[in-house]
Amino acid sequence: MLRRTLASNWFYVVLMIALIVLPHAIGWVSGDSPFGVRGRPVGQSIYWQGILIEVFVLAVLAMSYNLVFGFTGVISFGHALFFGVGGYILGIVLEYTDLTGEVGLLIGIGLTLIVSAVLGLVIGLVTLRLRGVYFAMFTLAVAEMFYIFFSRLALTRAEDGFALTELPVWIDPTRSRLTFYYIALALLAVTFLFIRRLIFSPTGAVLLAVRENEERARTIGFDTLRFKLLAITVAGMIASLAGLIQVILNKKVGPEVLNVSNTIDPLLMTIIGGAGTFTGPVIGAAGLHLGDRLLRDLVIEVGGASIDIGANWALILGIVFILVVLVFPYGIVGTFRRWRTRQAK
Amino acid sequence: MQENILLETRDLRKAFGGLIAVDGVSVKVAQGSMHSIIGPNGAGKTTFFNLLTGNHAATSGNVLYKGQDITHLPLHRRAHLGIGRSFQITNIFPNLTVLENVRLAAQALGGDNYRLFRRADSFQRYIQRARQVIDLVGLNAETLLPATVLPHGGKRKLELAILLASDPELLLLDEPTAGMASEQVPELIQTIDRVRRQGGKTIIMVEHNMSVVMGVSDRITVMNQGRLLAEGTPAEIAANKTVQSVYLGELYGDLNEAAGGSHGV
Ligand SMILES: Nc1ncnc2c1ncn2[C@@H]1O[C@H](COP(=O)(O)OP(=O)(O)OP(=O)(O)O)[C@@H](O)[C@H]1O
Ligand SMILES: [Mg+2]
Repeated sequence: MLRRTLASNWFYVVLMIALIVLPHAIGWVSGDSPFGVRGRPVGQSIYWQGILIEVFVLAVLAMSYNLVFGFTGVISFGHALFFGVGGYILGIVLEYTDLTGEVGLLIGIGLTLIVSAVLGLVIGLVTLRLRGVYFAMFTLAVAEMFYIFFSRLALTRAEDGFALTELPVWIDPTRSRLTFYYIALALLAVTFLFIRRLIFSPTGAVLLAVRENEERARTIGFDTLRFKLLAITVAGMIASLAGLIQVILNKKVGPEVLNVSNTIDPLLMTIIGGAGTFTGPVIGAAGLHLGDRLLRDLVIEVGGASIDIGANWALILGIVFILVVLVFPYGIVGTFRRWRTRQAK
Repeated sequence: MQENILLETRDLRKAFGGLIAVDGVSVKVAQGSMHSIIGPNGAGKTTFFNLLTGNHAATSGNVLYKGQDITHLPLHRRAHLGIGRSFQITNIFPNLTVLENVRLAAQALGGDNYRLFRRADSFQRYIQRARQVIDLVGLNAETLLPATVLPHGGKRKLELAILLASDPELLLLDEPTAGMASEQVPELIQTIDRVRRQGGKTIIMVEHNMSVVMGVSDRITVMNQGRLLAEGTPAEIAANKTVQSVYLGELYGDLNEAAGGSHGV
């Protein structure tokens, strides 16, 4: 049983092992310890751990977006709200209560999950009856409203936000980055497995039915509103956990976590990687974020003229996006899978 | 003999803005009967179905099922009461396999929809039910194909299989043979009639193919411009002068021309 599972998922097993040893491998190659130098977060391994944690965060965010968009067929423009809520709740708990360390962290995580679930249910109940583009617009409006409030409210320290100083040492990314790296990696793996389980369950089958043809799904007896609500709520909870990891990595939470880019980025990553596939959002997140990081400072000389890649990153991304949509209409993973099915026939 | 009324409508109306698509229709459908609805294009037959199932909300009037007023019940609740339908314009899950299309319909009323952590394919009873129905309509060879690649006739069969999978008591069939090759029509109609007799089902069928309608119906309701024009046994309808002038003559003409007996949308 276990052997069969491992054999049929060899790709994921190999990838997982690679990601586990990667910080040590980078440390070994570069000569910089993966634990930092004398407790300080410096060196190649530490640097790449930080970038990979960001990739994991974006991948989890994109996977949660894909649950709603790719598997259930609901287009929400308000996903940043869930991402941002996670960070803010932890910030508020650590700042305004006497809770610190593990207790503060645990309560912050618990509250984050509860609040994002309630938000998902309430927003879903109010808006899911709206059709297509109206739903998308309403979710955008709600998320933007939170963004504006949180960037002005005294309670949330307006533009400044909070610094997260009272984190336990073992999770503090400046002191124990490698541990934090494994925590983020664990969240990625658990999210991946969870979504796969969900989609293969009877409930997941209904989500696909809603995406394919909601009217027919209702006609054969599914209360489709409930299933869309479930998808939005579960996805919101996952996104809020991604937001938590992000703010712990930054050791700061501010209005930028609620920025609309935290909706647009996972949307683009999902489409580029392949909406409605399991690996697509992960590949999209890794590709876009690593591309951004690697090319950010690149300046290429073309016959005397120098092109600053970093400064034109948005433009390049736009072109890549158009190309992907033209060449890979079902995203990278989706198009590849279709191609392989055709080869097999 | 007192007949058991399964479904009844009372003065049912549906207005789309100024257009009254269904205009005060009252009918009674006896349990276990094959009740056909005929009428020219735009008569309001499909809209009438939509009011029975809840795909559209009635403007006024009532729908009673087993004596219970279901006029304002949502779509999915009516499915749980045992009302199923097929669509005139094929309405399937295009990117799912034929098996999954039918399996979903079998799962829908089974009470396992919120089993988040078990695999859907571990519920053998839904898969068995789906395979049984796929066999019944004759789609075995296409079981694992995505629904969207089926030819038109195959999609019509799938449409029927999705309806049959949930084993409803009342089946609403909206032009089940629409666009099918004529040589496939008798077989499909026989399948439908067999399902009704063996399962003691009640069927309301909209159908343009007159030989089919006259052959299998217990009663026929004729609609025209949203109104009920006539109702009776096939013999009574065939003899009805108004029906002949408004509808039958015209359609029998059509039927002779279009050898397929099929009817466009
Ligand atoms: N959703 C809708 N919105 C507006 N008008 C509609 C709608 N559905 C149907 N109609 C109109 O209502 C009238 C009745 O249409 P309906 O589809 O019920 O006729 P039908 O008897 O099923 O015709 P056919 O034999 O062509 O299928 C038509 O004039 C149609 O244009
Ligand atoms: Mg019609």
